Amino acid sequence: MSIFPEFTLHDLLRNSVERDPGKIAVVDGNTEYTYEDLDRQSGALCAALIGEGVRKGDRVGVLLEKSWEAIVAMLAASRAGAAYVNVNPLLKVQQVEYIIRDCDIRVAIGDSPKLAELESVKFDAAFYKGDEPEKVPAGTSMDLSEVLRDSGGSGDVVEVSEVDLGTILYTSGSTGMPKGVATSQRNLVSGAQIVSTYLENTPEDRILSALPLNFDAGMSQFTTSLRAGATLVLQRSRLPGDLLKALRRHDITGVTGVPPLWGLLLRGAKTIEEKPLENLRYIANTGGRIPQANLDELKRLLEPSGTKIYLMYGLTEAFRSTYLPPDEVWRSSPERGWCIGKAIPNTEVMVVDKGGCECDPGEVGELIHRGPTVAMGYWGNEEATRKAYRPNPLASPELLGVEKVVYSGDLARRDEEGYFYLTGRADAMIKSQGYRMSPEEVEGLLVGSGIVDEACAFGVPDPEMGQQIVAAVTLKNGDGKEAVRGIRQHCIENGPPYMVPKEILVHEEDLPKTASGKIDRKTISNAYSDR
Amino acid sequence: MDISTDNAAAEIRTWLQENVTGDWEIPDDYPLIESGVLTSLQTVELVMFMEDKFGISVEDEELDEENFESVKSIAGLVASKTA
Repeated sequence: MSIFPEFTLHDLLRNSVERDPGKIAVVDGNTEYTYEDLDRQSGALCAALIGEGVRKGDRVGVLLEKSWEAIVAMLAASRAGAAYVNVNPLLKVQQVEYIIRDCDIRVAIGDSPKLAELESVKFDAAFYKGDEPEKVPAGTSMDLSEVLRDSGGSGDVVEVSEVDLGTILYTSGSTGMPKGVATSQRNLVSGAQIVSTYLENTPEDRILSALPLNFDAGMSQFTTSLRAGATLVLQRSRLPGDLLKALRRHDITGVTGVPPLWGLLLRGAKTIEEKPLENLRYIANTGGRIPQANLDELKRLLEPSGTKIYLMYGLTEAFRSTYLPPDEVWRSSPERGWCIGKAIPNTEVMVVDKGGCECDPGEVGELIHRGPTVAMGYWGNEEATRKAYRPNPLASPELLGVEKVVYSGDLARRDEEGYFYLTGRADAMIKSQGYRMSPEEVEGLLVGSGIVDEACAFGVPDPEMGQQIVAAVTLKNGDGKEAVRGIRQHCIENGPPYMVPKEILVHEEDLPKTASGKIDRKTISNAYSDR
Repeated sequence: MDISTDNAAAEIRTWLQENVTGDWEIPDDYPLIESGVLTSLQTVELVMFMEDKFGISVEDEELDEENFESVKSIAGLVASKTA
């Protein structure tokens, strides 16, 4: 039971410290840290952040690999009233610098090599983890480990409320660069309350953090564990051997993953069969549909020893949205369709037609989400915010325009019993390996090679990845085969691995255009599937 | 087939350049997994390449950070399986 009301992320910490200060909060490699450690070190870093001029509402960059320090950094920023911005370690310099500029990050906490590779940005202050970098792009730079050793935490001197900005979650944007979803303290806390409620998390849980912390669903293991007063085990490697070792060595009780993770885990099926994972209370999937064969295999392997399987669906703009509890997982099947279940607690999801009227059962429309996890909007992007965050069309006339709901861009239908099924996308978004990407961002990367004249990226279905990226391009000049090598190389060097197209097809003629002169993505992707 | 560590390392470096790093030639002791250069899915692809190229088989338990830490350690794994 919580002792203090839960308004902010650090209220969740305060409750867990109060309940059991000596409880292990985080396991990072061979080191265990208690809730008391988390309280003390985040207090010390909070004081240092304030000392370096961080004020309420400021953005603090977290450029760290998943680590104890990354957890401390998030809580320190929260306590200082600032918003933390977790930057995906897979991003390359160009995207990292874009994010730093986009939300005006003045103070950062980062791994030394990551800070050292930045070229065109300068922080007021930077805290480095590791050896002192030769050059730090900052006015002042400090050794993070020394700061964390300080016992002189300032206590919580900043008044923070639930409507304050808590974090910005960057997701792929249609302008060719990522866009930030501004997420309030209330969104964070509600998300933790809701998820820990339906996953029934308790202090006895030992939760594996196997997803990136910059991803809403990956951050969720941290926030739910913090709320439950459970133990969070940080896992960087997702190689099958390491996953199996971690599950056993730490007696993991809960794992949340995206479809490719289960594919990796299933490579270890034989050893799981020989020695069942008896402590594993649940697994939860998000970020795409698990191939039925893998889902069946997970059931066969895990259910006999008591593991429950949850299927979840969410979008960064509203943190988490629906889930299918273990007893209902049968509703999702090749015959019945991709069932995403019902709304998470304290939330409502609806399917509406283009006119904003609720669709009848069986009728396909756009999925919209209302509830306390609806984020504040896109950072610095009013136009995109207006498009995705709209007045609730089903509100009573007297309250029309008061409450904002999220338009997901996902097409869905509802059955007679009120369960929702995803049927596709209203736009051309690509979903691969759990990452949602706009084709424009992939196209921007391709054109950036200097070799490509026009580019068209689209997703093609792939059972393991969700979708694979395929790109059709025309060349400025030169030979096709050599060019494809060059384009690939550019993508590999300048983009995160999940954004590199699996296939690059060179078109001799101009790419087909729509009546309005835009590249006709539909015709191109249909021609590809019909080959 | 007996494959020396050097030969294996050269093949692995080439694969990494073609599929992961582009022009940059990775030092043999560079921490591939820890630095995030090699993702888990890419590692599985690399294993498939190794199994095909060197005619070896890599067990699931061997697919871990220790064996795939660097070009050097991966080459060592290949050599130990073909000796």
